[in-house]
Amino acid sequence: MISKNVEKPLACWRGKDLFEGQVLETLTVIFRTAGCSWNRCTMCGYRHERYPPLSEEELTGRLLAQLAWVKESYADDDYRMVKIFTSGSFFDPAEVPPAVLDAAAAAFRGKVVVAESRPEFVQDEVLRQFADGLDDGTWTTPLFVAMGLETTDDAIREKSIDKGFSYADFLQAAAAARSAGAGVKAYLMMKPPFLTEAEARDDMIRSIATVAPVADLISMNLCTVQSRTEVERLWKQHAYRPPYLWSVLDVLIQSPVHILCDPVGGGQIRGPHNCGACDGPIVKGIAEFSLTADKELLRVLAETECPCRQEWEFVLEQEQPFCMPLTR
Amino acid sequence: MSRYEGRKRDGLARIGIFEHEGVTLTLPAAVDADGLFPNLQRRALSNVPLDAGPAFAARYHEPGSDQPASVHPAAPAAAASGDCVMAAGWHTALANPRKYVEWLVALKERVVPDTAWYAPAAALPRAAALLVYTGFDLFDYRAVDLATARGVFCTPEGEFPASMMESGVCGCAGCRDGDLKRHNRQALEREIALVARFVEAGQLRELVESRCRLDAAQVGILRFLDRQYAFLERRLPIARDVTLRANSAESQNRAEVRRYAERVIDRFAPTRTDVLVLLPCSARKPYSLSQSHRRFAAAVASRGHEVIVTSPLGVVPRELERVYPAGHYDVPVTGYWDREECAFIADILVRYLAKNAYGRVIAHLEGGALTVAEMAAEALSLDLEVTCSGHPTSGASLRALDEALRGERKMQADMVRGTLAWQFGTDVDMKGLRVRSKGPRVSVLRGKQQVFSIDPGTGLFRPTFEGWQLIPDRYRVTIDDFVPQGDVLAPGVVAADPAIREGDEVLVQGERALATGKAMMGADEMVQAKRGVAVKVRKVRTLE
Repeated sequence: MISKNVEKPLACWRGKDLFEGQVLETLTVIFRTAGCSWNRCTMCGYRHERYPPLSEEELTGRLLAQLAWVKESYADDDYRMVKIFTSGSFFDPAEVPPAVLDAAAAAFRGKVVVAESRPEFVQDEVLRQFADGLDDGTWTTPLFVAMGLETTDDAIREKSIDKGFSYADFLQAAAAARSAGAGVKAYLMMKPPFLTEAEARDDMIRSIATVAPVADLISMNLCTVQSRTEVERLWKQHAYRPPYLWSVLDVLIQSPVHILCDPVGGGQIRGPHNCGACDGPIVKGIAEFSLTADKELLRVLAETECPCRQEWEFVLEQEQPFCMPLTR
Repeated sequence: MSRYEGRKRDGLARIGIFEHEGVTLTLPAAVDADGLFPNLQRRALSNVPLDAGPAFAARYHEPGSDQPASVHPAAPAAAASGDCVMAAGWHTALANPRKYVEWLVALKERVVPDTAWYAPAAALPRAAALLVYTGFDLFDYRAVDLATARGVFCTPEGEFPASMMESGVCGCAGCRDGDLKRHNRQALEREIALVARFVEAGQLRELVESRCRLDAAQVGILRFLDRQYAFLERRLPIARDVTLRANSAESQNRAEVRRYAERVIDRFAPTRTDVLVLLPCSARKPYSLSQSHRRFAAAVASRGHEVIVTSPLGVVPRELERVYPAGHYDVPVTGYWDREECAFIADILVRYLAKNAYGRVIAHLEGGALTVAEMAAEALSLDLEVTCSGHPTSGASLRALDEALRGERKMQADMVRGTLAWQFGTDVDMKGLRVRSKGPRVSVLRGKQQVFSIDPGTGLFRPTFEGWQLIPDRYRVTIDDFVPQGDVLAPGVVAADPAIREGDEVLVQGERALATGKAMMGADEMVQAKRGVAVKVRKVRTLE
């Protein structure tokens, strides 16, 4: 028997999320699995987090132990929503064996579950079985499949992220999820490499407009410089800069639908940042906005007086694919 | 359609004329690049970082459908003669000295030379000298305008807070009006104008050695580039008629300095004698005109081969004392030679002595030069006879030198043969040749026919048609089937000896004519370029 002290998720924490107009207590779990089968995305640092090759039986055992640790560490009544990540795809059978899905459905029965997966693993049968296991009648839609669409622009997704699927693949997976009775959450990625500040901002504005009718929930991740990634290599060569927080505000304010956005690494040199002087309140405001959807707050923040605003406006106008990034 | 013609070169740096859509620019210059090249606005989503590998570059690098032609270090270059070449992302290279040089060499080696080179968003006044030195000549105002947007005051020495404007360091119109944008743009324009002046004078290296001091990355780029000897040497003129100021530690790594030493060892053949006399240098050039060397010459009285030990050139045989840069360099004289300097020069002396055997090595040296001779003697297990006691020109020292040479046979150092060997890599048979000297003017005759005359500015020889018969096969420029009217232009050149450097004496040969003249560009450029003067012709002889 494997020790419970050893087998626990990569990370697990409690938070709050805005869902169907109310703020829910949330548990976020990142399971250690066999790892992402695709394993190529330029900005992804999670892909190094994986078990060494294991038999299916061994892998199942370790995942069940992680699940048991979660159940023991957090009381069922303390959360109503569970967000499951794996540094890959929760519905990839090579990563997460089917027996684990069944156990997870039983463990989180009655909760709203948002589970992340690449589209190729979003299949009617698998999702239906998992959703049925979760459903105790509490929620109209107990399962949402979250997919890292990143952008609706296939050319950008391919060049900047090397994601390996198209928008058409996403739409097909979304349809499969719907037919299995699951909802759809789309993750977008603001400013992957090789985009100017203006191109990155415009890409998000276009992507939100395009995907809004298809996705129930949209979450926008802000690209950060994670260690041992292609993006980090570019960043060290002065060939990449994370987005300005001014651009993030701009996108969120212009969006016709509510966008969830957790500004991870905000205000730091490796994360979305302005000049360093004005970052703090803006980062805090963006995090707050995810729960309140209060655009007025964003508008006030966007009016913050800071000399770096002029720099950002210059960058938006003058940064070009052949001379980027202009700033660090 | 655009055109570029180089008018004056200083290594990678050029002054040239660029014409595009009815606009004529004298480069180097900063311009409104977006206005000059409207096509720049149509390159959305085309970023390929400089460090991208060949697979990514092959897939995503696009030269663009119009001027400028974007180039990438890992992609084949699609630029043709007359194009403006854009090194996309070059402003990021300035932070990566090692890569800067790696990318620069990759780009310069694959693009034809008669092209204008645009470095977008890279030109701050601080970087202008280095950018021009490394072969860029077209710039935009993006970097200085960004500085303005950030409230940064630009000078050639670096960037400062905008408040610097009130400190009186600059009195330009922008500063007088409190207009930061105007100051920053003018600071860039002024620096580019200054840099162009140094290119014109053939002394950009000296300016860059000075300008780079406040920026570690720039010093790094200078040093890494100096390691690319083969790349640089092909692009540097064989001679200049201006002083080479060897005032920094980097000066001894100049490709021209190394080339001089390499040729002394590889090409030069000393006049046969068994006795070597190592002498110190003098401030006056050529050395033999100095007071000290007149005394040395009187003491030696032609009883040994005189070789001068000097920093940074290494060893200068008496025969080659007029050849660039031996007759043209200036160094700060402190009497102190640092270890790096000693090791560098001792290495050259070791190589010289290993190639040219002498029975006796007399060191009439003191201080650093003596240390160098001792280091070389030890490395080769040679006996060194030291004749200096106190200053080399003291009576006692000169008497000791005279004493040491007592009984040795007289010899006459052959300046003409030595220089021709250094210059053309060929040992000319001097039998039947007569040398006529009048001050700095030297001419060599066979019978009454002149075969060589010296160029007093560079110390090199100019062969006549008869002189070229003594230099078989080398330094030839082959032209098409025409008789040159005036100078030979680059498109007329069919082939050129790869040894030819700018400033070299060459023999032009075609089916219908021979011509003597001076190369105005290196062999690579005269073969590849479609514009510009390749050879400045002195005399033409029509063949029937």
